[in-house]
Amino acid sequence: MANIQETRSWTTRRDHKRKQLKSVAELTKGRIIPMANIVAVLEKLIASGDKVALEGNNQKQASFLSMALAELDAVKVHGLHMIMSAIARPEHLDIFEKGIAQKLDFSFAGAQSLRMAQMIEDGLIEVGAIHTYLELYARLFVDLTPNIALVAADKADANGNLYTGPNTEETPAIIEATAFRDGIVIVQVNEIVDELPRVDIPGSWVDFVVEADKPYQLEALFTRDPRSITEIQILMAMMTLRGIYERHEVISLNHGVGFNTAAIELLLPTYGKSLGLKGKICRNWALNPHPTLIPAIESGWVESVHCFGGEVGMEKYIAARPDVFFTGRDGSMRSNRAFCQMAGQYAVDLFIGSTLQMDADGNSSTVTLGRLAGFGGAPNMGHDPGGRRHGTPAWLNMITGDSAIQRGKKLVVQVVETFQQGNKSVFVESLDAIEVAHAAKLPIAPVMIYGDDVTHVVTEEGIAYLYKARSLDERREALAAIAGVTTLGMDISHKQRDALRENGLVALPEDLGVKRTEAKRSLLAAKSIDELVAWSGGLYTPPAKFRSW
Amino acid sequence: METLTFNYKGTKKLPQRAHVGVVGSGDLEVLLEPAEDVSEVVVRTRFDGYGPIWQEIMDRFFAVHDIKAKIEINDFGATPGMVSMRLLQAVEVSYDEQNEK
Amino acid sequence: MMSKMRNSFVELKARERAQTVLDKGTFRELLGPFDRMESPHLAVQDIVPASDDGMIVARGLIGGQSAVVIAMEGAFQGGGIGEVAGAKFAGALELALEDHKKGVPTRPVIILDTGGVRLQEANYGLLAISEIQSAVVALREYVPIVGVIPGKIGCFGGMSMTAGLFSTLIMTREGRLTLNGPEVIEQEAGVLEFDSKDKLLIWNTLGGAQRYNTGLADVLVADDTTEICAAVEAAFAEQANEPRSRKVELFLSRLAAINPVKSLSPTALYELWGKGEKRSAQVMRQEEGVSHKKSRGRSWFAALTGDAVAAGKATSVLCSDVLLGDEEVRILAVVPNEHSRFPRARQGEVGLEEGWTLAKYVRAAMEADADKAKRRPIIAIVDVPSQAYGYKEELLGLHQSCAAAVDAYATARFLGHPVIALVVGNAISGAFLAHGYQANQIIALNDPGVLVHAMSKQSAARVTKRSIAELEAAAKIVPGIAYDIGSYATLGVLYELLENIHADAPTKEDLMIIEKTVLAAIEQARTLPRNLQNRLSSTAAQMARKASIIVRDKLQKQWA
Repeated sequence: MANIQETRSWTTRRDHKRKQLKSVAELTKGRIIPMANIVAVLEKLIASGDKVALEGNNQKQASFLSMALAELDAVKVHGLHMIMSAIARPEHLDIFEKGIAQKLDFSFAGAQSLRMAQMIEDGLIEVGAIHTYLELYARLFVDLTPNIALVAADKADANGNLYTGPNTEETPAIIEATAFRDGIVIVQVNEIVDELPRVDIPGSWVDFVVEADKPYQLEALFTRDPRSITEIQILMAMMTLRGIYERHEVISLNHGVGFNTAAIELLLPTYGKSLGLKGKICRNWALNPHPTLIPAIESGWVESVHCFGGEVGMEKYIAARPDVFFTGRDGSMRSNRAFCQMAGQYAVDLFIGSTLQMDADGNSSTVTLGRLAGFGGAPNMGHDPGGRRHGTPAWLNMITGDSAIQRGKKLVVQVVETFQQGNKSVFVESLDAIEVAHAAKLPIAPVMIYGDDVTHVVTEEGIAYLYKARSLDERREALAAIAGVTTLGMDISHKQRDALRENGLVALPEDLGVKRTEAKRSLLAAKSIDELVAWSGGLYTPPAKFRSW
Repeated sequence: METLTFNYKGTKKLPQRAHVGVVGSGDLEVLLEPAEDVSEVVVRTRFDGYGPIWQEIMDRFFAVHDIKAKIEINDFGATPGMVSMRLLQAVEVSYDEQNEK
Repeated sequence: MMSKMRNSFVELKARERAQTVLDKGTFRELLGPFDRMESPHLAVQDIVPASDDGMIVARGLIGGQSAVVIAMEGAFQGGGIGEVAGAKFAGALELALEDHKKGVPTRPVIILDTGGVRLQEANYGLLAISEIQSAVVALREYVPIVGVIPGKIGCFGGMSMTAGLFSTLIMTREGRLTLNGPEVIEQEAGVLEFDSKDKLLIWNTLGGAQRYNTGLADVLVADDTTEICAAVEAAFAEQANEPRSRKVELFLSRLAAINPVKSLSPTALYELWGKGEKRSAQVMRQEEGVSHKKSRGRSWFAALTGDAVAAGKATSVLCSDVLLGDEEVRILAVVPNEHSRFPRARQGEVGLEEGWTLAKYVRAAMEADADKAKRRPIIAIVDVPSQAYGYKEELLGLHQSCAAAVDAYATARFLGHPVIALVVGNAISGAFLAHGYQANQIIALNDPGVLVHAMSKQSAARVTKRSIAELEAAAKIVPGIAYDIGSYATLGVLYELLENIHADAPTKEDLMIIEKTVLAAIEQARTLPRNLQNRLSSTAAQMARKASIIVRDKLQKQWA
C-alpha cells in the first residue's frame, strides 16, 4: 500500500513545463522569442488539448500572437480549449475552422457575433459556456486554469518585467492564474526597453517575450459622438437624473456604454447643476474612460474613476488628472478589469445600461437571431450581489418593507426607447435568446440581465419603479405602463396607469417635473467631439475616425 | 411611402399655427393649424404597414390634447417616441405667446 | 467652466441659422412650410417630401440693411437641390437683383449645406443650379455675395461651383468644400486615388482650414454664432474682393507649376499657394503635338471650324474663330487628350486646366470685343462625359476651375455675347454646368448618344440605393431624371432638338442645317433678355417646369 503513494508524482505540471521550455531552447534567446520564430515556438510550447487564454480583451488584442496561432499546423497542435474575454478578430474564429481549437469559454463576441452564431450552428465550435467577465476570471483559478497565456503588453525589459500602462485590463489576472500553476506565459510587446516607466507585472511571472512587428491592436470602444444624441435620449437622461439619481441619492455608479448614458454624463454640468445636485450624486465611478465624462470631471462633479481598460485618445487627459484617475508613479493610468468588475459588483450604488430586447418580466437580452454577442460585464454589474453588507443611502433606499431582517439592493436600471429605428419594438413576447439557446445548444437562454434584478426601467414614456412592485403581476403592469404603443403597452388602460402612478410604481415625465419639450440638444454640455476637446483644454486627442475637422 | 388619415372630434381651439421638425432620417415635420370643426391628421410616412401604431399614437395624443386641429405630418422613419415628442412640441409652440405675430 | 459651452452654429437647423444671421426680430420667411410649396417629383417616387423642399428663403435686415438669407436644410435629402429648392434659391437672387436695380441694396447671404444636385430630381436640379449660378454672376456686380459653409454636410457637387462664384466664402474647420465627394472619387478612380474612409485625409484635402490656407476660402471661423454673424457683416462692410473665379491668369500659372504625376500633400500646397496671390515662376513642360483621340466633340469642332490642324492639337480645350454667316464666332470644345498633363483628365472630362482654359478663351473674346457694338457669338460644342475625378483635382480646387468657366460664359452673355450650346454627345454634371449650361440658347441633336444628366447611371444607382431598373422605371414617371435627350427636351429648355443629324460624322447637309439653326439661335439670343429667364417661357416649360414658375411668382408676391 505504501508503494502506491510513493509512485504518484506531484509535479506533473512543473515537469511538463520544464520539458516544453527545453524544447524551444534552440529557437529562443533566453526569454526572448525572435519574431520570425514565433510560429515554430508556439507549435512546440503548446500541446494539443491545452487550455489557452488568449487576449481577446475588450479594447486590447494580442493581434500578433493570435495571427501566429492561426498559422499553427493543426496536425501538430489541435483540439485547443480557448479561454477568451472577447472574440474580436477574424483569426479568433479561424483557429476553430482550421481545427487548431475546438472548445471555447468566453464572455463577449461583438463584431464576430454573426460568424460566431453560424459556426456554432455548423458544429465548428464547442461552447463551454458564455460568461460575464469576472466570472470567467474567477474560473481561471478553479477549473479553467490556462496551460498557456498569450497576452499583450506595451513594453518589457530584459528581465521580462512588463509595463501595461493604461491598457492593463485583465492581463495581470490571466498571467497570475497561469504563472502560479506552472502554465507558460508568452507576451507580445510593442518594444523591449532598458527601463520601464513602472512595473505592472513582475518578470518572474513571465516566461517569454516577443517584440511584435506592429503594436497590439487597440480599439476606441467607449467613445460616443455627442452629435448622435437625440432629443429622446436627452429626455430619458433627464428623467433618470431626476427620478432615480436624485431621488435615491446615487453616489457611486457604473454606466454601460451607449448614447443614453453618454447623454446622462453630458447633462450633469447643465441639467444636473440646475437641480442643485453637484456634489450630491455621481462622485465615484467604475467606468472606462468615457470622453463624454470630461465636462462633468472638469466641472468638479467627479471624485474618482476606476477603469476596466483604457480608451484611445484619452491618455494625456487622464495623465493630467491624477486626482481623479488611478495613475502610477510614472504618471500614466493603470486600468484593471478584474478589480473594476469587482468594484462594479460590490461597491457601486447603481448600474445603468441599455438593451435590444426586453420581455414583460423585465428580462433583457442583446442576443438576437443569428447573432451570438455574449454578455461582457453587464450581468456582473447588472445584478444585486447577495453578499453585500455595507449600506449607502441609495442601497438602503431600495428597502420597501420594515421587517427586522432586511437588506438593500443595488440599483439596476435599464434605459431603453420603446422602439428601435425601423419601428422595431423593444418589448417582445419572448426573447430571441430562447430560440438562440436551442440553435446554439446552450443549456440556458443567454439572458443578459434578469428581471428580478432590475429595480428600474426608463423609457421615453416614463419610469417604472419595479423594485416597489409587491407581486409579479404588479411588476408586469408597471412595465406595460411605460411600454408606449408597443403590443405590451397597448394592453394597459389609462386607469390602471394612473393607479400605478398614485402608488409610486410609475412616474411620467410630468410627475417628475420634466417637460418633454425641454429636452433639447442645447442642454448637452458638449454637442460634438470638438467641444469635448475644448472642455479638455486640448488634452483629449480623438482618434481620426471621430474627427470631423 | 404610405399616406394615412385620422379624424377626431376636439373641443379646444388653438391660438395659432405651428411648425416643428425636419424631414430628416429618423425625424419628421409637423404642420399644426387651428381647425374650426373636426380634427384631421394626414400622415405621409416612409415606412409602409404601420397603420395600427400610428392610430394608437394619434388616439393617445388626442385623448390628452383635446384640440381642434389640422395636422400634417411628413415622416422619414421616426420612432413613435419621436412622433409624440414632435406633436407635443408643436402644441407648445402654438401656445407660446412669443410666437404670436 | 461653463463658458466652454459654445453657441454652435452647426447645431442649428437651416431655419434657425437664417434667423441667427439676420438682425434680431427681422426674420420673415418666404414660401415657408405653410405655403406647402413642396417638390412635385418626390411623392410620385414614393419619397416623403418636405413642406419647404429643404430650402429656406428669408427676408430681414443685416446690420440694419435690407437682406435676404438663403439656407439649405442638410437633413432633408442631404441638402440636395431639386426643382423647387433651386427655384427658391434662384428666384430669391433674381428678386434681390431687381431690388438693386431699383436702388435698394439688398444683401444676399447663402448658408450652404448641400451635396449638390438632388439625384431623385436630377435634371431639374442641374438646370436650377445653372440658373442659380447665372443669378449669382448678375447680382455680384451690385453687391458682395456672401456664403457660409458651417459643416455637417458641407458644400459639394454643382453647388461647390456656385460657392466658387461668391465674393466672400466663410468656412469653419468642419466645413468641406469640393466638387466630387471622397466616396465618388473612390468609386470612379479607386481607393488608391482617394481612400474615402480616411477622415484625416478628407479634411486635410477639402476641409475649411485647408481651403482657407490655400486661398480657396476667404475667412475661417470657429463654430460660434457670434463669430459667424460678425464675419458675415464684415464681408459687406469691407471692400468687395475680386472674385476668385476671375483670377484666370493666376490659377493657370499656378497649375502650370504643378507636376501632376508627383505626389502633392495638402500642407505642401500651403507653401505653393498660400492665402494670397502667390505664384511660382517654375513652369512644367507642356507636351506639344497631335492627339489621335477621336470624339464627337473633336469631329464637330473640325467640321464647324474647317480647321483640321486646330482640331487635332494635343490640348483638351479647342478654340477657334471662324466666320459663320457674316460674322466672326468663337467656337470652343472640350475633347479627349491622351497627352493631357493631368492623368485623370484625358478622356474629355472637364478638369483643372480645362475649366480655367475655357475661362481664358471666353474672356479673351470679351476683351477683344470690349469696345465693339456687336459682341461675337460664342459657340460651345458640348460633349463632356463628366468632370475629372481625382485627388489632385479636388486638392487644387476643381470646383473653382469649373466656377471660372461658368463665370466667364455668364459674364460674356450679360455683356451681350450670344452664347450658344450645341450638344452633340454627353452633357453630364459639373462639366455641363461649366461648359454649355450658361448659354442663352441650347441646341441638341436627337441621338441615342446625346445624354444630359447629373451623374453616371451606375453611380446614381449606387448613391440613391436603387437598382438601374428602378431608376429607369422612375424615369418614366419623372422625365427629369431620365438620361435620354428626348426626355430632357420635354423640360422646355432647348432652343431646338434636331432630328436626323449624323452625330458621329456630320455630312455637308447636316452642317448646313446646323449653321442655319445656330444663326437663328444667335439672333434669338440678341433679341431676348440676357438672363436665363426665357427658359421658363416655352410652352413645354410652362407645363414641365410649372413649379419653377409658381415659386418665382409667389416669391415676388411675398418679397416686399
